[in-house]
Amino acid sequence: MNPETIVEKISSDIKDKVQEVSLAAPRRVQVKVAREHLNVVLAYLKKQFGYVHLGTISGVDLGDHFEVIYHMSDAVATVNVRILTPRSDPRIPSVCAVIPGAILYERELQDMFGLVVENIPDPRPLLLADDWPAGEYPLRKDWVFDRPAEVIPGGK
Amino acid sequence: MEFKVALGPQHPALHEPISIRMTLDGEVIRDADLKLGYNHRGIEKLAESRSYIQNLYLTERICGICSFSHQTCYTQGVEKLMELVPAKRGLYIRTLVCELERVHSHLLWLGVAGQEAGFESFFMYTWRDREVVMDILDWISGNRVHYSMNTFGGVRRDIDELQKKKILDSLGLLRQRTDYYLNLAASEPTFVGRLAGVGKLSREKAIALCAVGPTLRASGVPMDVRKDDPYAVYDEIPFEVSTADSCDVLGRAVVRVKELIQSYNIIEFLLKNLPAGPVKVKAPRKVKENEVYSRYEAPRGENVHYIKSNGSDKPERLKVRAPTLANYPATIEMLKSGFIADIPLIFAAIDPCICCAERLVQLDNARSGESNILTFSQLRAMANERDKKINFKKKEIAWPF
Amino acid sequence: MIERLVHWSRVKSPWVLHLNTGACNACDIEILAALMPRFDLERFGILLKGTPRHADVIICTGPITRQNRDRVVRIYEQVPDPKFVVAVGACAMSGCVYRGAYNTCGSIDQVLPVNAYIPGCPIRPDALIDGVVKLLNSLK
Repeated sequence: MNPETIVEKISSDIKDKVQEVSLAAPRRVQVKVAREHLNVVLAYLKKQFGYVHLGTISGVDLGDHFEVIYHMSDAVATVNVRILTPRSDPRIPSVCAVIPGAILYERELQDMFGLVVENIPDPRPLLLADDWPAGEYPLRKDWVFDRPAEVIPGGK
Repeated sequence: MEFKVALGPQHPALHEPISIRMTLDGEVIRDADLKLGYNHRGIEKLAESRSYIQNLYLTERICGICSFSHQTCYTQGVEKLMELVPAKRGLYIRTLVCELERVHSHLLWLGVAGQEAGFESFFMYTWRDREVVMDILDWISGNRVHYSMNTFGGVRRDIDELQKKKILDSLGLLRQRTDYYLNLAASEPTFVGRLAGVGKLSREKAIALCAVGPTLRASGVPMDVRKDDPYAVYDEIPFEVSTADSCDVLGRAVVRVKELIQSYNIIEFLLKNLPAGPVKVKAPRKVKENEVYSRYEAPRGENVHYIKSNGSDKPERLKVRAPTLANYPATIEMLKSGFIADIPLIFAAIDPCICCAERLVQLDNARSGESNILTFSQLRAMANERDKKINFKKKEIAWPF
Repeated sequence: MIERLVHWSRVKSPWVLHLNTGACNACDIEILAALMPRFDLERFGILLKGTPRHADVIICTGPITRQNRDRVVRIYEQVPDPKFVVAVGACAMSGCVYRGAYNTCGSIDQVLPVNAYIPGCPIRPDALIDGVVKLLNSLK
């Protein structure tokens, strides 16, 4: 099994669910899917090639879209499955049914970007402080932090 | 009767602010919950407003113990973005410092495990030997922690013949000491008895919850980024992946000691085969649009950086996932059906680097809904009181040994 | 008379509480290394205690994160008077690399009154011993 075989099998087996698939770098396979088919594609990867280890889930703010990338790793290659979700409707499906270990990464996405993860088993905020104002999502590009002026003790 | 207890955030058993919320039934833990956020510093947002070179120093300070892991993972990723092939001698020196960091981190962990198990003199011995490694790193790089040796295209400083000889001599001393610790830990019945059977994590659960590092390898799964996805010069070095089959804290200790011995062999190989040549090549300032997923085997597990560039000299997005975060769901699993007195041991067994993971753990009260923060000595006193009043039915609770 | 005795014991053997307010952990490991056989702070009578109610000196590391801010103030109020705060490391002095982050307060002296600053990123254990000795000398 090598990365090229993985690309070929994905493009032949589930061609209707996948928008594009390519080998971007040695041992890095890129797969682009629509958000409705995410769980189907991850279940296929698990059954066909044995991809069970999720590295992390990255969110990127692209302006009018959010891109969410699921990095699945193995000894052969890393498959990066990416979905796009529009800024006006930031909902993504949860993958905890297929990969139970994804729960903390999904909670972090909810905190940092304001994405709504549907069917998430545990929707509590993960990282931000208890007194953090609601509706402020730090990792969005349009969120700017104004640092308050510092008080120098005993000085000017 | 259910009782919830809070442990943290400031607690003498925990070096960093973490808060664990546990639901108890007598002394057995039924459920646990982590609360993270006390250590969250907003590094990913800061990285977007700094240039690639400034981020070298920012990623280093994500963690103090595994600082070189974060910096190397970032540097590797950016070198792939720049399509830069680093200098060979630079790669060898980078791998050398990676392995030295692994040695110092595992010796630190052995000391902490000894302290949690009540073995204070072991703690003092291992940290005294750790000073040998810290002196070497100080001599090579100029600082005991936060070495900042990496730069895009190689490393910043070279090592000369005298330093090479000193490192090889110290290796002899460290090997002798590690053999002593291995014999001590394996034959000391109280130490083995304290660690065996604690914090069980079956192989299926470890894989399903995406655990990484020695936590995963102690459950018999041979996953190691140095073999699966080799970076730096690991594809040229002969070494073995250390695993254990006992799925408990003792297995994790055994895996780390085996890794120490492998690291000594790797360091010796690197020094004997160090190629001549420059230690770095020139790197461009601006990086064209691309993205990279960089993996690294830190002492605690798989460290992952995802970097996206947009054509300027500042990154568009830097995402860091530290190994301790990946081990958290597995920790919750391990805490269930354990005893309160085992909490520090279980938590120490995953080698928590909370600053990497930016998390906290909190204890909650199940029955009345109120939360109490108790110190460990109060907890112990309360547990002893309970012991006197209630008759434990031995068949209900699974005794660990 | 009793006061002189108490003052003498406080200066000769200060008990220390180690408080981590969200740091990268390097300074904390170096503080622990200062208690190890190589540098050995305990020969000066400095004892590391776990509880704020027994401590004389609070050794603080890290830029204070937003979540930690109230807890740090609460712990400071639990330490009995007279107390001294030592800010250890560049993070505690000015925020180090985290200056400008949305979740940190900048430095410890925005929240607590600090008596001594020990610079370094991370500090060397020798610098910690030097700083604590200077603080004690200023008390005499």
